[in-house]
Amino acid sequence: MSQTAEATRGDAVRPAARPGRWGLGAPNYAASPAALPTVLGLPVLLWQLVFFAAPLAFLVVITFWQVRNFRLEPAFVWDNWSRILGSDTFHKALAHTMQVSTITTVLALLLAVPAAYTIAFRLTARQRDIAVAALVAPVFSSYIVRIYAWQVVLSPQGIANSLITAIGLPALPMLGGAFSLQIGLLTLTLPIAVLILVFAFSGIDRTLVEAAENLGCTRLNVFLHVLLPAIRPALILAATTTFLLAFGDFVSPMFMTGSKPPTLSILIVDTVKSGSQWPRASVVGVAMLAVLVVVVGAGRWLGAERRPKAKTS
Amino acid sequence: MQESDSNAKRPASSTGLSRRAVLKAGAAASSMVAPSLWLPAHAADPVTLNYLAWPGNADATIVGEFEKANNCKIRIKEYVGGDQMMAVVNQSPPGTFDVVMADAEYMHLLKAANFIEELNPADYPLKDLWPEFQKFPLHWFDGKLYGVMLDFGYLGISYNTKMFTPKEVSSYSVLFSEKAKGKVGFFDWYLPSMGCISLSNGNRPPFDLDAAKFDGLKKKMFSLKPQAAGFYTIADIFSSMTNGRAQLIPGIGEWITLGLRMDGVPVDTIIPDEGGLQYTESLSIVKGTAKRDLARKFIQYSLTPRAQVAMATKVDNRKSIPSIPGWKLLNETKPKEAEILRMTLKGPYVMDEYKAKKIQLRQLPQKQSIEDWNDAWGQFKAL
Repeated sequence: MSQTAEATRGDAVRPAARPGRWGLGAPNYAASPAALPTVLGLPVLLWQLVFFAAPLAFLVVITFWQVRNFRLEPAFVWDNWSRILGSDTFHKALAHTMQVSTITTVLALLLAVPAAYTIAFRLTARQRDIAVAALVAPVFSSYIVRIYAWQVVLSPQGIANSLITAIGLPALPMLGGAFSLQIGLLTLTLPIAVLILVFAFSGIDRTLVEAAENLGCTRLNVFLHVLLPAIRPALILAATTTFLLAFGDFVSPMFMTGSKPPTLSILIVDTVKSGSQWPRASVVGVAMLAVLVVVVGAGRWLGAERRPKAKTS
Repeated sequence: MQESDSNAKRPASSTGLSRRAVLKAGAAASSMVAPSLWLPAHAADPVTLNYLAWPGNADATIVGEFEKANNCKIRIKEYVGGDQMMAVVNQSPPGTFDVVMADAEYMHLLKAANFIEELNPADYPLKDLWPEFQKFPLHWFDGKLYGVMLDFGYLGISYNTKMFTPKEVSSYSVLFSEKAKGKVGFFDWYLPSMGCISLSNGNRPPFDLDAAKFDGLKKKMFSLKPQAAGFYTIADIFSSMTNGRAQLIPGIGEWITLGLRMDGVPVDTIIPDEGGLQYTESLSIVKGTAKRDLARKFIQYSLTPRAQVAMATKVDNRKSIPSIPGWKLLNETKPKEAEILRMTLKGPYVMDEYKAKKIQLRQLPQKQSIEDWNDAWGQFKAL
């Protein structure tokens, strides 16, 4: 049946729109398939405009303001941008934050993929439920409390060193360096990465695995050529989520390393703490958002389905 | 079991309350409310004194007696750090605060911002203070008084007594020693930390540096990087000294270590041979307040021996007090505390270091901007 015929028959059945009280006609959402989603989406759009877009725009505006006598004053100066972007401290903090976040992302994926595979494919349904619940629980507990707990474990006189010295080995400096920082960041990111991948693995059609095995694929080949391509979007989502959480985190760099060296989030706090330099802190914030946009963009590009171009000849 | 028995006797009611109980509660509430209807307005609505101060300074143990005596309520707005205080001051409309507690080195900025008003010296028992503090330089401008000292303390090197001996920490050079590598914690505030490093570089006064001396300070500070264990907030200083992560911290003092020591942590503070810094907390009246009399009374109260003793023995933050009658009362009523706080009248006591001219006042940078010092601190952290 042609579209025209379908539309004609629909119009015949549909009662004619009556003029409303204000002469606008009664709402007739079915008239346009796009109307209902638009109406339903409007509050969300407004919410985003008021609580995300507007503050974001204000953040950018503030970068051009200046501080005089500890007071924020509207202005249009480039000084904050040139000062922050030209500062060695900012460059080092940016490089350090990128490096730390990249390492966290790689570690999280290396740990999360086998863990998620095991949960999705090797556990019984009941065991899987328990594992997922165990992964969800930390997400709802206080991150800072978990970090303080790690301090107790990793400190020079903490639980880990007590065990190490009890077996006659010398105490290890575990708190205050790259090791403790990664422990803290993985505490934040790993449960989320595993959860994303568990759901991705669980959604895979098992018959694909069986077919590959029936065709003689080894378990490794099944994993590499069937499972991994199937969860590629989830892998990218887990990677970008992990990277962004680690990139913006303040708690672990602060409490697990004593801000040595500072990350960008610590730099924001330092900039505000001394001299109330909100405009310069905003420049750092905007720079962090720019990194966020690039990472999300790269993630989308990598995750996009690409079909091979059809040969024209 | 008892509970279920009593429940069984209770008349059925959706809320579990009987009508008689509700009436009784209503009558009791009326009897409590009724007298207040006949009280004068000022009694029914106590005056609120708005107080801008470091955290913990409006605890009942400190201000409760004043509130009761003056039928007022102290409402505190807390800040952490002088820069934050200046930001709050500059962003608040006039009339927001009546009294401000400030670190004395910020007093000239408060005056320049026209935020505090001149005080009449005759209103305050300045003669009761130690002679060294009666004309405290950071409180007087052009011969006019703008602030009154509330308490003070010294900043030197705080150290783990199991790892370092008093002899080892008698000089700031210990910070640069091989033994201290990776064990020096820093209070993450440029002013006291750089002040102590400046003292270690032989600068007296430590905050009045020409360009060459400032470069020398930066160089010396940057050479400390391999020694650094971390840069800590106040809360993290307590935990890092307790768990041994930081074994030496310059720029802090007994306000941290005294409480820890009383809890059994092996820490102490020393003023090294090169000298230490003094922090001073001062009270001023905010310009244009409508509660000037109450604000004045509050400052007067804060200098009474009882209030001074309460300030000195605050559980979370013990401090030295400038009032000699306060010292006397402390020795009479809490002799053990007086000994721990080194405020015995026979000595040795905290004034020894001041009298020996080992102490320099903590001040803002004199020849550079706050920003220059902050930037240097930021560079040090990022090395």
